Amino acid sequence: MKYLDIAIETALAQGAGYADIRIQRDTSQVIYLLNRSIKYAVNDVEHGYGIRVFKGGAWGFAHCNRFDDRTVADTARRACEIAALSAKVKKGAGLTLAPERSYIATYKTPVAIDPFDISMREKVDLMLEVNRTMLNYDGIRQAVFYLIIHKCEKLFASTLGTRLDLTTQLVDPMITATAVWEGDSQSRTFDEGGRATGWEWIQALDLTDKAKQIAEEALIKVKADTLGEEQRRTLILDPNHLGLTMHESVGHPTELDRVLGWEADFAGISFATPEKLGNYQYGSPIVNFMGDNTLAEGLATNAFDDDGVPAQKWFIIKDGILKEYGSTRDTAPQIGLAHSRGCNRATSYYNMPINRIPNLYLQPGKEPLTPAEMIAATDDGVYIQGRGSFSIDQHRINFQFGGDFFWEIKDGKLVRPLKKVLYKSCNPEFWNACDAICDERFFRPFGVINCGKGQPGQTGRMTHGAAPARFRNIRVGGSQ
Amino acid sequence: MNAQQILEYIKQHCTADDWTITINEKDSHETRFAQNSITQHIAGSNIEVALQVSFGDKTGVGNINQTDAESIKNLIETAETMAKLNQPDPEFMPSCPAADLPQVLNRSEATLQLAPQEMVELVRQSIANGEKHPAQVSGMTEKHRYYSILCTSNGFYGECESTEFGHSMTMKKDAVETKVAYSGKDYARFDLNQWLDQLNSQFNSLSAPHVFEPERIAVILRPAAVQEFIGYMGWMMSRRYADEGITPYTDKLGTDFFGSNFSMVSTLKDDELYASPYFHGGIPSVEFDWVKKGSLFTLPTDRFWAKKTGSSPSTSYNLFIPGDGVSEEEMMKKAGRGIIINNFWYIRTVDMKSGEFTGMTRDGVLYFEDGIIRHAINNLRWNEIPHEATRRILASGVPILTSPDTKVPAMLIADFNFVDKTDF
Repeated sequence: MKYLDIAIETALAQGAGYADIRIQRDTSQVIYLLNRSIKYAVNDVEHGYGIRVFKGGAWGFAHCNRFDDRTVADTARRACEIAALSAKVKKGAGLTLAPERSYIATYKTPVAIDPFDISMREKVDLMLEVNRTMLNYDGIRQAVFYLIIHKCEKLFASTLGTRLDLTTQLVDPMITATAVWEGDSQSRTFDEGGRATGWEWIQALDLTDKAKQIAEEALIKVKADTLGEEQRRTLILDPNHLGLTMHESVGHPTELDRVLGWEADFAGISFATPEKLGNYQYGSPIVNFMGDNTLAEGLATNAFDDDGVPAQKWFIIKDGILKEYGSTRDTAPQIGLAHSRGCNRATSYYNMPINRIPNLYLQPGKEPLTPAEMIAATDDGVYIQGRGSFSIDQHRINFQFGGDFFWEIKDGKLVRPLKKVLYKSCNPEFWNACDAICDERFFRPFGVINCGKGQPGQTGRMTHGAAPARFRNIRVGGSQ
Repeated sequence: MNAQQILEYIKQHCTADDWTITINEKDSHETRFAQNSITQHIAGSNIEVALQVSFGDKTGVGNINQTDAESIKNLIETAETMAKLNQPDPEFMPSCPAADLPQVLNRSEATLQLAPQEMVELVRQSIANGEKHPAQVSGMTEKHRYYSILCTSNGFYGECESTEFGHSMTMKKDAVETKVAYSGKDYARFDLNQWLDQLNSQFNSLSAPHVFEPERIAVILRPAAVQEFIGYMGWMMSRRYADEGITPYTDKLGTDFFGSNFSMVSTLKDDELYASPYFHGGIPSVEFDWVKKGSLFTLPTDRFWAKKTGSSPSTSYNLFIPGDGVSEEEMMKKAGRGIIINNFWYIRTVDMKSGEFTGMTRDGVLYFEDGIIRHAINNLRWNEIPHEATRRILASGVPILTSPDTKVPAMLIADFNFVDKTDF
């Protein structure tokens, strides 16, 4: 496309040391069904380009939604002018970029049935059936179905000679049943956080059956007991729950821009500082975390990031020891890394890419172990399913999590459902308390589509995964 | 096409029974700095055209950010196709009719005229101040111009132009880390030196923090912390959710559910506060008392629920909490012993029905005893029920602008429930 060349040629003519242009079209369809009322059924198309110029050790970024030769060139010139302004306030010689070579490539998320080809009627009929199923239960006061389908098409060119044509897609159904009973209300949600795949996943899920399950569990939950006083207990966490726990307590602390203090004003910094690389006992020896932007159906999976760096797979924590970060071309050189791990991603065309959590997962246990065997080997504990309340400090040390569904474990058995369970822990206590992980047969991926970060704010997407895991001696109790 | 041409095109070509057009324009410049250097620097403009249509009670919405005739034609086709293929909405509400709108001034010439070079100079001065300590400074300087139009087939037409300027600074050296932030519609009301003084004062007060174990203790929440604390509570305040039994506000309208010296309103009368002249697709903004001296007066209500319950639609278009004008020194004397909190972080719901939240302190915590500040302490986690906490308000200060649409005072609250600590 000629606009790629215009932007690159203009930036080079203005003295850019490096420049890239990302022409991005995001197409979303969002349907929000509250009970039997379609509150929102929208088709959204956002199309524009962002031009990034690196000059004099500093960045400038300009974006626009108008496509003509002159406007593209003007936008490139504006990015150059902004970079020159940025260079007036820098440390020493300013930033440097990790070396990278040029690529010419195409990538598309594998999709068997494009969700955009499924008619609005078919989607709404399915959603209404799901909500009716939940509302048919006495005591279910509210049913919500939120469906997101999204396609992102990018054309990327850089002064390195890279030319990329990248298309990613995701689909994300979320359903919630809220039960009201004797002055309390409790909800139960089916939400796997979205997957980079097509409508075939929706067909395989049997959401009507899921609706029955969560409605029944919402009713169990609203009538369940609370746990009472906080005590040191054993926790067994399911993969969906662990997805959020690892996102907050491993994913964010190992973003290199946070480590460098680049997010100090808003999202926060990290306790996992560079002198800990290779020697810090982040978790017990069975804890292994992979960064993997090649993961099948992963929300961060793409052939390249927005720096034009290829997708990679690497250990972030190996045998419990902090090994490496997720990095970008401008963060990696700050700690002497030879290359970027390809974690620079922007949400929309008008966003400047930032250092993002890759697809990040806890490797399953190496010894055969089923969830039933894990529970049977637990005398006194709580089994938590799904995601609930979550909060962590800005250094990513102290955290408190809830969940979506809870069972008390006594003498190796699930003895009663619970509600309003919270646990408190911190790094490195929590991951060092992990003493068992089920094997690969029980590994499940779960997405995150709303990871808020940056100024101005962006919502990133990535996938996490785990098999059920056990944590000993954690502070667990009930809310007020 | 410009905005008026887009409106005309849609009016001429849309075949739906009912439609609402929203056009939002945005022009922004954002200079982000960290560790005493500019790390990101962004400029650009955008437009969003949204068309909501209905055939009978079947609705569809299309959004697009391209403004050529072909794109607008596609937008109409998309919205109309979605509506035709949709199922009827049992809670359908037709678009709003013509209305007289209040006059509000959300536009600042000073903000519009602020040049990128001046913004970079603000950053340079902020970093120069930090280097004197010497400390690392991070933050963002931003300016925005927004322009929106809302037009319906039933005769409503409204437009609103607004501006926003913000400058935040986080200063960090070793264990000392604190932040100040200005965010308002008018750059002319911003005085960098005043904010640098406040930043330096906070920074100097936080050296050598002591270990403090969590307990129930009196707190002085400075305005930024009050905004976070009350703001999250506000998200739960929905008439529908209350009526459906989901939140703590079920059957509480008209009762003394909050503390008697707590009120909160949305107002058009404060010229510092941003106020949209209309909401919910074309309802004129008016004064709303949400809580009046402890009594739950109104809950935000959408148009359908208002019709169903025989009430009026309402929304919290801004937040103003009146205060008693009590100084921080007087609050410390009144409480005797307690802690002062600059800000909160990562507040999340713990339990929807009880209205319980959790969160962390941030940007510096101070311990006071015998009415005077003794020393800084570590950050703390709390689990609290904000509406119950308002019953423990002992005093409040002068309302301060904490964001373009929020103006709140500092508050002295007894027995705040801290449950954990962190090691910084």
